[in-house]
Amino acid sequence: MSEPRELPARIVVAGDGPLGVLAAIALRRALPTTELLVLAVAPDPGAFAERIGTALPFTNRLHDRLQVSEDELVRQAGASHRLVMRYFGGGGPDQQSAAGYGAAVDPAMTTAFAKEWGGGPRNAGTTAPPRSLGEVLAGAGRFAPHSGEPGSPLLDLDYALRWNVPAYRQMLVGMAGQLGIQHARADIRGFMPDVSGGIASLVAEGMGEIAADLFLDCTGSRALLHSYLPEARQIDWHDMHPTRRIAIAEAGRPMLALEDRATLTPLGWRWELAGRDGLQSILGVAGDAGDEAIHAALGAPPAQIVPFSPGRAEAAWLGNVVALGDAAARIEPFGGIAQDLAHRQLALLLELLPGRTVDASERAEYNRRAAMMADRAADWIAVHYAAPAAAKAFPGLQQSPELARMLDQFVRRSRTPIAEDSPMLVQEWGAMLQALGMPSGESLLSAAASGDGSETGRAFAQKAEAALAAAPPYGEWMERML
Amino acid sequence: MSITDRKPVRVVVLGGGTAGWMSAAGLAGLLGPLVEVTLVESEDIGIVGVGEATLPHIRGYVERLGIDEAAFMQATHATYKLGIDFRDFGRIGESYVHPFGTFGEEVAGVPFHHYWLEMQRQGRAADIGTYSLGVMAALENKFRPPSADASLTSTYGYAYQFDATLFGPFLREHAKKLGVERVEGKVIEVVRDGASGDVTSLKLESGQSLEGDLFIDCSGFRALMIGGALEEEWEDWSQWLPCDRAAAMPCAHVTQEIQPYTTATAMPAGWRWRIPLQHRIGNGYVFSSSFISEDEACSAIAAAAEGTQLADPRVLRFRAGRRKSSWNRNVIAVGLASGFLEPLESTSIYLTQMAVTYLLELFPIDGKIDPRDRDEFNRLVDMEYDRVRDFLILHYHATERDDSEFWNHVRTMRVPDSLQEKMTLWREAGRVEKYSDGLFYDASWIAVYIGQGLLPERHDPRTRLPDPARIERALGSLQQAIRDQTAAMPGHREFLTARAERLAAVP
Repeated sequence: MSEPRELPARIVVAGDGPLGVLAAIALRRALPTTELLVLAVAPDPGAFAERIGTALPFTNRLHDRLQVSEDELVRQAGASHRLVMRYFGGGGPDQQSAAGYGAAVDPAMTTAFAKEWGGGPRNAGTTAPPRSLGEVLAGAGRFAPHSGEPGSPLLDLDYALRWNVPAYRQMLVGMAGQLGIQHARADIRGFMPDVSGGIASLVAEGMGEIAADLFLDCTGSRALLHSYLPEARQIDWHDMHPTRRIAIAEAGRPMLALEDRATLTPLGWRWELAGRDGLQSILGVAGDAGDEAIHAALGAPPAQIVPFSPGRAEAAWLGNVVALGDAAARIEPFGGIAQDLAHRQLALLLELLPGRTVDASERAEYNRRAAMMADRAADWIAVHYAAPAAAKAFPGLQQSPELARMLDQFVRRSRTPIAEDSPMLVQEWGAMLQALGMPSGESLLSAAASGDGSETGRAFAQKAEAALAAAPPYGEWMERML
Repeated sequence: MSITDRKPVRVVVLGGGTAGWMSAAGLAGLLGPLVEVTLVESEDIGIVGVGEATLPHIRGYVERLGIDEAAFMQATHATYKLGIDFRDFGRIGESYVHPFGTFGEEVAGVPFHHYWLEMQRQGRAADIGTYSLGVMAALENKFRPPSADASLTSTYGYAYQFDATLFGPFLREHAKKLGVERVEGKVIEVVRDGASGDVTSLKLESGQSLEGDLFIDCSGFRALMIGGALEEEWEDWSQWLPCDRAAAMPCAHVTQEIQPYTTATAMPAGWRWRIPLQHRIGNGYVFSSSFISEDEACSAIAAAAEGTQLADPRVLRFRAGRRKSSWNRNVIAVGLASGFLEPLESTSIYLTQMAVTYLLELFPIDGKIDPRDRDEFNRLVDMEYDRVRDFLILHYHATERDDSEFWNHVRTMRVPDSLQEKMTLWREAGRVEKYSDGLFYDASWIAVYIGQGLLPERHDPRTRLPDPARIERALGSLQQAIRDQTAAMPGHREFLTARAERLAAVP
């Protein structure tokens, strides 16, 4: 007879950045009777999540599930919508193209082959889209998130959010307070190990020993808890990712736009997020460029330059300590991928939430899947340096076998193989590769398909027209919201 | 290059069974002018054709090729299938249905089966099958296609039960319309290029020579090209799947109603299938010749099968395993030449379909084989086979049966590590290992684990949180909704009869 496991009596979340607070809210919703303590530790100088507020579409689903309202994010946290990321220069100096989100980013619908044939989440031979609904709407400056009404022409459209980080954190802290989550500020002075490779308690300045069944390490790249454990080992990504420093400019003028931009510079990719609180420019810096070169590539004087060391924990969950976010994987905080990864780790933890004691098999399953998630997120970054012009500028980078396979298949056949625990749908990968200026090979299935594509083209034009008619000017919608 | 300028790739398919015609029709239908497909088959060589039950994926194949479902059902005497009823597997006298569908819904991020385990512990839950519309509709002999919305009526899927010996010929007619050339004859020699080792042509008894760029080996267990000529290694899995024979025997219907499901009943040295088609019922005993003789097995199936015997039992021989590489040089093995897994979960046609799908995705551009495409094909085919293999082994291993040598063997054997890990995760925490590609997701594993009495030791702690009376009420209303929906569905035969274009003429 199967017995219910005991509920954890107490969980300590170390780190009170946005991820720590969001994790605490998630745990409070899942475990209303468990005592929760968020321990604020001294801020991590390398914690980009504190500064760069954007993610990918998955985060919208997680927020929704945790009752973090998107409308309130717009009202209280300066949130706005990104329909496409426009890439400049991946394919050479004059190349530019935009990539959107969602399964329907491919108007040619060549992926229908896989869907109709397999009936499930199967491989797709994608021809990257020349256009997508997201691009059409972003170009026209029209958008409103659909409310799920059936038949809406905006239903297929997915999007990412960007937000103001301090305001976002403040909103989450407010929610956590209402949910009765304890919050204390104290530096960690030491740990008492337990017998199973974890932590029995931590010693906090002025608070004495704090025991718990489970500890979440949300302390950023220093991984204050995880790095204490004797089994903690790191996997180095230096040979795959060239960025060693990240330069951040002062916020520019406020913007309301449905598109963000990424531009290849001689030092690395520059990312410009159109924040309602100001344009945010950040640059991944490879090599040992001086301040002037950084200034030139960033397009503004750097307000901050932070060292960066890419890699991940071999096993993010050791004993009763689960590392989340930068504590588990240090990934360039660009285009929303780092937050996306952190949020998918959190969702995985909710799925495999342990009882008072941790079972070795579920920890192993968590680590197996979290490792795949992190590796595919690392591929997401690495793809940017595999773009033709980037590969010339940053030669000699290694690629994971999965990434090498995807690039090979895309370049020769326009096919994007499915990968387990990938941050994006195969259609989204296809769109991104195309936007990065990757040459795409011929899909035989598309070539052999009857018709010249004019019918698909007409159908897309109709959809685009309907979407434009249904969506108000984005500024108008925003004004109504506020 | 415009499509009309290209020289079509010459594809020669060897073998006219299900795999041969599925490959030929798929290639000709979806690559059209890029290929020139010839299929060689011999009327003197029989086909295995026991794959009578299918998985829902087959619908994708039929639709994608633009085949009319009614014509297909009529030609193959097909009935609808909602799942498989497994009897006597975990213990003699117990049964469960593995549906093409789910059990309940997750609540607050916790999968349904954890709440069910908790309620069952408290003695407040019924059999888990009563919380699945797919299961209940099957057991009530009801059928209606699922809805496309997100409601309860969308929580199941369906496939077909058909006469596999008629499926090949049906596809043959379709394939010929698509331009596939059929050649009658026996292959006496596989001719290879001395330098490259590639196959260049097939020499027929008639003296005719079939030249090609690419050769598809659908010659069944004989594997004339992949096994015979190229000597591609076979990975043997009989230590885990010891059944190596089947005694097949058709019978007449005994009841008015046609079960919209396949029945698999465990036997002392294997199991037997019962597959209701439009006019007859397919029966067969899948057994291990190490534990029972062919004669004994034939007597056993004749004794066990209900209804008038329409033919004597016919014995088929096979072995579980797969080629180390299904694509070697310019030969691609599809179907039984590539691998064999016994029909316990009706995966044979699925595996063929997947191989054709991957071949279409990775088809050599202008006939030039890129080793990276070949590796990718082999990787995907291996993954499909390996995942199905573990799931099949579970049906034998998760048992309390100790009433025969056969069951003692499979109960106590050492299973692959990949399966052992899945079972440990289930036993310790009630969780199912997740993957997003391949066959058989959570609900399938849960159906077999629970159906065969392999219950976890512990389940999710969050099941302690809601008031048990509330969970009990929720389970009760789900059961009621399923009863109501099932009652509103037409009977399977009634549904078929109302669509006479799907029915073959009574012989």
